Amino acid sequence: MTAAGYPGVSYLRLLLMTLPQIAIAATAFLALTVDLATLRKASLRTRWRVGTLIACAGCAGAILLLFLYPQYGSFGDGMLIANPLTRVVQTALLVLAAFTALLSFDAVFTSHIGEYLAVILFATTGMMFLVASQNFLLIFISLELLSLSLYILAAFNKSSRQSAEGALKYFLFGGMSAAFLLFGISLLYGLTGSINLVEINRAIQGRPLTPMLAVALVMTVTGFGFKVAAVPFHLWAPDAYQGAPTPSGAFIASSSKVASFFVFAQVMLVGLAAGQGSGAWHNSKAGWAPVIVAVAALSMILGNLAAIVQTSVRRLLAYSAVGHAGYMLLGILAQSAWGVRALIYYVITYALAAIGAFGVLAALEAGDNVGVDEIPDLAGLSRRAPVLSFCMLIFFLSLAGIPPLAGFFGKFYLFSAALAGENSGPLWLVVLAIAMSAISLYYYLRVVKQIYVGEPAAAAPPMKISRTVTATLCVIALLVVVLGCAPNLLVGWIGSAMHLP
Amino acid sequence: MTVPLAYYLVLSAVLFSIGVAAFLIRRNIITVFLAIELMLNAVNLAFVTFAHQWRIVNGQIFVFFVMVVAAAEAAVGLAIIITIFRARNTLNIDQVDLMKL
Repeated sequence: MTAAGYPGVSYLRLLLMTLPQIAIAATAFLALTVDLATLRKASLRTRWRVGTLIACAGCAGAILLLFLYPQYGSFGDGMLIANPLTRVVQTALLVLAAFTALLSFDAVFTSHIGEYLAVILFATTGMMFLVASQNFLLIFISLELLSLSLYILAAFNKSSRQSAEGALKYFLFGGMSAAFLLFGISLLYGLTGSINLVEINRAIQGRPLTPMLAVALVMTVTGFGFKVAAVPFHLWAPDAYQGAPTPSGAFIASSSKVASFFVFAQVMLVGLAAGQGSGAWHNSKAGWAPVIVAVAALSMILGNLAAIVQTSVRRLLAYSAVGHAGYMLLGILAQSAWGVRALIYYVITYALAAIGAFGVLAALEAGDNVGVDEIPDLAGLSRRAPVLSFCMLIFFLSLAGIPPLAGFFGKFYLFSAALAGENSGPLWLVVLAIAMSAISLYYYLRVVKQIYVGEPAAAAPPMKISRTVTATLCVIALLVVVLGCAPNLLVGWIGSAMHLP
Repeated sequence: MTVPLAYYLVLSAVLFSIGVAAFLIRRNIITVFLAIELMLNAVNLAFVTFAHQWRIVNGQIFVFFVMVVAAAEAAVGLAIIITIFRARNTLNIDQVDLMKL
């Protein structure tokens, strides 16, 4: 598209559409400047307090802007799109970013507080753009903004050798998958002459699945499969989750999952749905369906079975995240609006439970001043920190999918969407998913059992946990319970954003 | 005499494959990092070729963004590699093995 293709670009419209992102980026610079310029001699506690306050205020302001100036339609060749659905996802991302900042409060792993919060906010800016674009150029740039910020966050604990190692593996695999994604994009561009998802879909409609198109599809799935940590592209996840400072791990496990799954679904369902070319996307199976089926099945099996043998809580969470990625692919496989609705509900509630579980670990680390990594370290926690233990119980049961917590309804909607409609995924895959959820209950309960039944080490005093962190964790746990007891609050919101009856 | 477009595409695919192979085979972290850059540049070649084929400029614009991102990636990547080197005085990827599956 040449410049002449956009007669009369409205810069006011551009400004209005990117206002929330601008607000977050400005907040990042503000946090950086305030911390470096005015708080050099202040105590760590004051710096955390000011920085967290700025970050949360920025996130709240951006949410306010999203709803005060709601935008609709698309801008510049699909570069920016705005509709009620992107607004739902962006709100979730901003809330998760604020939670991450609050959970980092009083963390001891770094003294570079301004930089840490700024990088979190830059990553959030990247994610906000990522979910609001249907153009491969902007998708690629914002994906890289997100990824580069996450590599930095994973490496943030400079005194830990594990942190650097986890970040290195994350970086190397991430760089390779970005190259694969780009190669896929370049082939799609070569086939269709466009980098706009809608136009690509129009162009590949009615064409046979040529080898070049097949390679492009596989490459694209590889690139996004890495971002969502699906087998066989999951190798970075356990090391990054274990090595990263715990609040960074919480961020990697929650927000980036939400953004990546949304853009994955967008690319697959908007951009490549007509892959095999037998009519409109709602009455034919796309050419990429077999690839996604294989990736989903492998993720479920390997993720859940590998989680059983883990002794580190964080690695356990990482492998269970791989399993959850397998379930969530069912939502894309359903190729229906119901599938997308179930996927978004699932990924948001999953992110809440995951950020909560990591948040508890972070709180324990700050309270004990030692790393809490192995499952036996948690023995008898319920007697030392009853509130945190109860929050952990809620998060783990939600991850396992026990009613009436949010995780149960997430699985319920997802599996029923995968079975419903003419485009349903294979039945055996849903059966496999249900069987694997039953297995996941075992390893989640193993941790919970240590917390409630295990004997604490002798002379373990009650822990001193920061009140901010405890309050944040209680709010997250409350959200998990409320969204489970009244799933319609969120499902209805997503559904009305998608104009579903 | 003009070179057919397919030649450029084959060259791009070959470069990309060399990059993937080097990523998997080489043991020095810097070399592995260079392999990623090679893959990105192979993609750039493909983009320019396709842009020429379609006579649309956005493929060439894409290349500029890829180069900028590659530079940013180098900054972050080299910083991480320096951290690794400070911690253990080696750049052999086989010795970066605190955590195992």
